[in-house]
Amino acid sequence: MADTFQKSFAALILFAWLLVGVPLGWGVYNTLLSSMKLFQAPPPPAASAPVTAPK
Amino acid sequence: MALLSFLDREKSIAHPGYSRWLVPPAALAIHLSIGQAYAFSVFKIPLTQLLGVTKAVPDDWKQTQVAWIFSLAIVILGLSAATFGKWLEGAGPRKAMFASAVCFTLGFYISYFGVVTHQLWLLYFGYGIVGGIGLGLGYISPVSTLIKWFPDRPGLATGMAIMGFGGGAMIGSPLAIKLMASFKNSTDNGVGKTFLVMGTLYFIFMMFGVFTIRVPRDGWKPENWVAPTKPQALITTHNVEVNTAFGTVQFWLLWIVLCTNVTAGIGIIEQASPMIQELFKGKIGPVAAGGFVGLLSLFNMAGRFFWSSVSDFIGRKPTYFIFFAVGAVLYFFLPQTGANHLNSVVLFVSISVILLSMYGGGFATIPAYLRDLFGVYNVSAIHGRLLTAWSVAGVAGPVLVNYMREYQIQHGADKASAYQTVLHVMAGLLVVGFIANFLVRPVDEKYWMKESKA
Repeated sequence: MADTFQKSFAALILFAWLLVGVPLGWGVYNTLLSSMKLFQAPPPPAASAPVTAPK
Repeated sequence: MALLSFLDREKSIAHPGYSRWLVPPAALAIHLSIGQAYAFSVFKIPLTQLLGVTKAVPDDWKQTQVAWIFSLAIVILGLSAATFGKWLEGAGPRKAMFASAVCFTLGFYISYFGVVTHQLWLLYFGYGIVGGIGLGLGYISPVSTLIKWFPDRPGLATGMAIMGFGGGAMIGSPLAIKLMASFKNSTDNGVGKTFLVMGTLYFIFMMFGVFTIRVPRDGWKPENWVAPTKPQALITTHNVEVNTAFGTVQFWLLWIVLCTNVTAGIGIIEQASPMIQELFKGKIGPVAAGGFVGLLSLFNMAGRFFWSSVSDFIGRKPTYFIFFAVGAVLYFFLPQTGANHLNSVVLFVSISVILLSMYGGGFATIPAYLRDLFGVYNVSAIHGRLLTAWSVAGVAGPVLVNYMREYQIQHGADKASAYQTVLHVMAGLLVVGFIANFLVRPVDEKYWMKESKA
């Protein structure tokens, strides 16, 4: 009886953490994707465009 | 009526065997929701195009008018936390979380009516004031409960919740963008319906927190945990009542600590995108700058968890010493990484993310610092009053940064050089914070509560 109680309780804790963890993970994933632009952004078109500094 | 009694503190006392690991998710449900406030900027442009739908027309609201909605919400956050903190201590976390959810959701609903009738004051009143009260109540509601459940790791516990406030924007921003895109049509840019849906979704999510939160029974302590018997100078075993704490030097020193740390962090957050583009002109464009802003958000959130957990091991005062000493040096050095000097984007980004982690860490470690100095009895209420430092920094910080930068530019400095003075002033602010932290001493015995009352 005690074992059964403990198991369901662990499942409840896992469920609670998943409930907040999944949206947070989704948000972190989206932000990471956005952050990658810092490293993936193509170099400014200095070679092909006229040499005018962006405003 | 039955529901209202369910919200009572007595009804939320945990039964024997209740796992304390259910409490942080309950707190996170609230903080992840109200953290949406930091993503309000995604509505900025759409709110200025409500009449024109795809572009702003003359009768549309201006960005400067719309910007006040967020500022108002942050000011009200601090004021409501300060005002309702004492009530919260008596009413319990469940009632406070419920009130927070109602206010936060009502804020969205009132704003919906503001959008469909094009009445800006309804957004100021709805999202700014009613929603702002929800922010303040929600922010402080789980703090003392978490500290009571985790007397062995108070920094970790409050860090987990306050990390949620940092992470809330990461959910709120893409959610709002996706909802607006799905509701958009030729006559409506989808903002109003997005407010309605977000208000409802957040209410449901926050109810999970309301139903899950529990306060520990009197005398409860973690299994196998023994309270430290060796007295530690800056960790009291006594309690100080909120009104008494308000009159102590320690409260105001911590107020300065929080205010300087937040103001300095805002120095980067406020100018992140233009700063990196202007310091590395021709090397970093708007798209890459957007990525930089995202990276700052991640470190802001991670720092809340990391630094508050670290503070459990090294102590609160040393943690803030790190923020202020390392922060001041890094702020001073940051302009040197620009194109005019070292020209290192990697160095600039690395320093910035460390600074932002310490900005977040400052928010998350302060509740445990308050608990160490004033005890757990009124810690939420004291924390609430301390958050007025955030309100002040939230308004004064951007004004200070923008004013100084404009002043420099008007007096002949180029845009990149203008940042140097701003960042050096931020370093100076952190020195002030360092001194305030240095002056923190244990609270005098005369301020302690009588033990029977505590």
